[in-house]
Amino acid sequence: MNDSGRQENKEPNMQPSMEYAMAELRNCADLNHLKLPEIGVDFVYFGHFIGSQEFTREISEPFTHIRADEVDQLLKRTIYKPITESQSLIKAILSGEVAVFHGSNTYSVKAYDPKSRAIEESQTESVIVGPHDGFVEEVEVNVSLIRRRVKSSHLKVIKLEIGELTKNHVYVMYINDVVNMEHVNELVHRISGVEMDAVFDGNMLVQYIEDNPNSIFPLFISTERPDTAASMLAEGKVIAILNGSPSVICAPASFFEFFSSPDDYYQRWPVGSALRLLRLFALFMTLTLTPIYVSVTTFHYEMVPETLLLSLAQSRSRVPFPPLFEAILMEITIELLREAGARLPTKIGQTIGIVGGIVIGQAAVQAGITSNILIIAVASSAIASFVIPSYIMSSCIRLVRFPLIILAGLLGNFGFMLGIGFIIVHLAGLTSLKNSYLTPLAPSNLKDWGDIFIRAPFSMLKKRPFVNQSPNPVRNKMRK
Amino acid sequence: MMEKLHPFHVSIMIYMNQSGVIALILPRLFASNYGYNGWLSLAFFFAVSILNIYLISLVYHYGQGRSIFEILEASLPKFFLFPLYVLLAALWTLIGCFAAKQFVFIFQMLDFPTTHPMLLKLLLDILAFSLVIKGIYSISKATTVFFWLFVWMHLLVIYFFGEFQWVRLTSFVFQGETDFVQGGFDIYSAFLGLEIALLLLPYAEKNKKLTRAVYIGNLMSVLAYLVVSVISFGVYSLEQLKRQQYPVLDLLSYIKLPFIERMENLLFAFILFPVLVSVVLYTWASVLALKRIAPKADTNWLAFAALAFSFGAAWVPDVISEVEMLLKYFSYAEEGIAFGLPLLLIIVLLFQRKGHTHA
Amino acid sequence: MHKISRIGAALIIPLLLPACADQRILEELGTVHTTSYDLLPEEEGKSSKELLITMTIPKNDPENRKVREEILTTTSINSKGGRIRLSRKTELSLVSGQLRNVLFGSRLAKEGIWPLMDTFQRDPSISQRLKITVVDGSAHDLVTEKYPPHPMTGPYIERMLEKQEKSKMSAEATLYDFTRDYYDDGIDPIAPIVKKQGGNVVMEGIALFNEDRYMTKIPADEVLIFGFLQGDFRQGELSMDFGESANKEANNAMFTSLISKRKIKVFANRSRDDITVNVSVQIKGSVLEYNGKMDLSIDQDRRKLERLISEQITDKANDMISKMQKNNVDSLGLGQYVRNSMSYGRWKKLNWEEVYPHVRVHCKATMVIKDYGKFK
Repeated sequence: MNDSGRQENKEPNMQPSMEYAMAELRNCADLNHLKLPEIGVDFVYFGHFIGSQEFTREISEPFTHIRADEVDQLLKRTIYKPITESQSLIKAILSGEVAVFHGSNTYSVKAYDPKSRAIEESQTESVIVGPHDGFVEEVEVNVSLIRRRVKSSHLKVIKLEIGELTKNHVYVMYINDVVNMEHVNELVHRISGVEMDAVFDGNMLVQYIEDNPNSIFPLFISTERPDTAASMLAEGKVIAILNGSPSVICAPASFFEFFSSPDDYYQRWPVGSALRLLRLFALFMTLTLTPIYVSVTTFHYEMVPETLLLSLAQSRSRVPFPPLFEAILMEITIELLREAGARLPTKIGQTIGIVGGIVIGQAAVQAGITSNILIIAVASSAIASFVIPSYIMSSCIRLVRFPLIILAGLLGNFGFMLGIGFIIVHLAGLTSLKNSYLTPLAPSNLKDWGDIFIRAPFSMLKKRPFVNQSPNPVRNKMRK
Repeated sequence: MMEKLHPFHVSIMIYMNQSGVIALILPRLFASNYGYNGWLSLAFFFAVSILNIYLISLVYHYGQGRSIFEILEASLPKFFLFPLYVLLAALWTLIGCFAAKQFVFIFQMLDFPTTHPMLLKLLLDILAFSLVIKGIYSISKATTVFFWLFVWMHLLVIYFFGEFQWVRLTSFVFQGETDFVQGGFDIYSAFLGLEIALLLLPYAEKNKKLTRAVYIGNLMSVLAYLVVSVISFGVYSLEQLKRQQYPVLDLLSYIKLPFIERMENLLFAFILFPVLVSVVLYTWASVLALKRIAPKADTNWLAFAALAFSFGAAWVPDVISEVEMLLKYFSYAEEGIAFGLPLLLIIVLLFQRKGHTHA
Repeated sequence: MHKISRIGAALIIPLLLPACADQRILEELGTVHTTSYDLLPEEEGKSSKELLITMTIPKNDPENRKVREEILTTTSINSKGGRIRLSRKTELSLVSGQLRNVLFGSRLAKEGIWPLMDTFQRDPSISQRLKITVVDGSAHDLVTEKYPPHPMTGPYIERMLEKQEKSKMSAEATLYDFTRDYYDDGIDPIAPIVKKQGGNVVMEGIALFNEDRYMTKIPADEVLIFGFLQGDFRQGELSMDFGESANKEANNAMFTSLISKRKIKVFANRSRDDITVNVSVQIKGSVLEYNGKMDLSIDQDRRKLERLISEQITDKANDMISKMQKNNVDSLGLGQYVRNSMSYGRWKKLNWEEVYPHVRVHCKATMVIKDYGKFK
């Protein structure tokens, strides 16, 4: 943006002209130039941005049926925006408008309708019950998907530009009176501060505007689901939509919000609560299972119950490596399988799963490379990690496990607890839009626990989450 | 945005700072110093701790939101105060240091017979350092999480209801070989940690709520000590309790679950959290004191210096009995500080008031 | 500062490696399951008594995918010394963290077992739940004997004891229980006693200790009576034969689902050292088997049966108590109740050890038949 400002200063009040536009956009083979010499009008545009219906409606229809002296009259319509600066002319063409040149006057008209992906369900955040639409790459479609859900004049949208090279648009949305304006200002300030040549995805944008970009944990939620985004707005969060990305950023966020899924609210509350507890248990399991296996088999043989001792020793007895090495080996294998599965088409991915999971697992045990109890531990903790609804959080948790396993292998339970201590100390220092990342655990806000550890009945969720610092915290005014 | 400490967090910090390895030893201290039903003396110590907090609350009241350093510096000359600050900083650092060393030694006894204890201590100090430099607000947040990870362990006492027998408590009170005075000083070290409340004033919400929070934190400790002590007295016989080095550790080792046994191996690791909180809070306090002497010094470097000093000092005691002896003497000194410092502050404040009304 | 902490973090990893020296990797350990101690016959020219130490170590046989038991024996003057000697005989490093049961030969038990218990107390790797068991005869012989239906002797004995405990046919005696009672001045410790008989290990009863010396035992048939006197319990089975005791009306009966409650009252006269202890036991149970002439559906007959049983239990209990008094073992913990009935000064003056054999103890048992089954 600074760059463009400089250019404007360099060439003040330069009259927009077709020659200028053609010169600026030379060597762009995809540029279309339509001449209507009989009425003295020229159109310059990128054909692939323009919808054929729109083109017919705005250009071919009106301009083909008039005489030369009627052109001025036609161009007074408000859809034809007069352009006075050469820079905004180029910008308009690049963002999909049709430039209309008539004599010395220049206008632009919107006929933007690029081909885009149809609205379909998000692959990463699918739900069983609930809306099945998902965000697409087109920001206007995404904004519309949200406004369809929040039909309120309080829903405000701020348009920002980002990427000095890519000139992409970011829409910051919030609900007035529900959001804490400090958060909006902070987010807008941070997005405006980004000075990068190119930003392609919401999750990429997040890393420029987070409080601590070096943290392993995601500090803002990103979602591909319009219903989630709308509920975030209603909770008092700010959301930011980057053009070209189906990932919508929601802030501020707390650690525990990454463990809730829209499903929880669409199910009956006991079921939703059970699911929440299940996910937290999954978090616990995925963090502890393998480290505890390593620590017990390496240091704390006392802890094994008598009945388990022999089968554990038996399955370990043929393994040539120490437990730490064995566990790291298996964990890396599982990660390889996961990564291979993610990069391949679904059908081949399944084959990989079967080959990797069953064949290698079985063969590894029989060959005496690993013990079968470790396979169980590694596999269950991998499954548990996939239970976490946010893919980004789930990847973080899986990565965090490795240092824990190493510490447990080197220093047993002491090392393991030390690792947990480091994670907690790190988490305690994190903030999301200057709000504590560990809310409502620390600072403890017991009222919010009903929407974090369980999903309490709606009659008990009367307030918006504390982390959003909403000026209007009451959301449920029903008596019962 | 200057964040304030919520009273709940103050309670938790006080509680976590007080508990630690001492909670594992406390039943033995009661048994060997106060004899039969020695746990009853907890009421007395509770009263003393309330008095202690009352003194602190008077400082709050008269000090009107000023930090203790500001109060002192308003009336006393710097050449008197600086040695005092150095003394306080050294004492606080060393208490945290020896508490950590004791924890490490016990862990070494349990699981790492040949690993160098200073290695374990180093890791603990690094963890402490990474928390201290984040400031008191993050310390309070981490403490809260540590609290939830630690406090559930008290529910384990339910496991011992089956072994508990009232008849073992006996009908005698404070009989047998007793040593009320020195034992009293030893036991009161379990309440040390509440004097940190003196330093929290500028960071917390209202004075009144802060005082109440300190009382509540102290009460939480007392309840935890009470439960552990009563259970120990009802599960062990008195002579046995006197001979057990870490009776609560033995209690934990009795726990057996279908999938895991000998829980003390795992549960003792949880004691890391209160120990860590003690180290962190005491280091934080000594950094505050050092900061008054060298206001321009970088806080991180001061914390680094304090912990490096603590690490160096931890080399001195080489066996567990030396650590325990040193910890004991430093605890006596700290008990003096816990009462002496508020008293000094109150006297200074009263003089300031007097001067104020006269002028 | 950040740079320093990062460099510091990188330096830590190599520092951690020395901890590997303390690793105790599961499959490299010989986890001793059962240890037995016997006193060797004294030889001339040797000052200290030598112990015969035997350990059983469950071991994996990866080739045959089978578990077998390794049994090692040595002589030594103390427990840990024995372990050092034994470890010369095996490729595994012997550890005691999984030690479940310790057996003492009766000769050793009579001499006193406390010197050996010291290491159990001191060693942090030893479980508080370690079982203390006395063997009638030689513990070494009992452990080294092959019991064909039970390939692993150690777990066999341990599980047998555990099952007996559950049905109150044995007494619970873990390291924790034993130490607690040993140090308590108002109770003496107990332990189950087993014996080799034929091809089996048989429960012999309960060994009663005075301090740490094995004095006498309660035979297996009377363990339940001891259980009644020892404290409250639920579960257990009682079989009674009245053949010779009274007018030949009833022959025998079997009770199940016993619920027993014990109460102890102490009357200690202030002026004289005159102490009376009343033990009252209340037992409820259902009849599972009855052979006799009485009709249990008639209230009067049932009362009669209850009275008969009550009398018999009372007699047996009183006999048992006088036996304990004669041997000067206060296994029931009567001392605890006497202690709680008086002031500290008086208790200290009273030498319970000496007074106990002469204390008047009255036991009264009452039996209540809850139901008599689904058959009239």
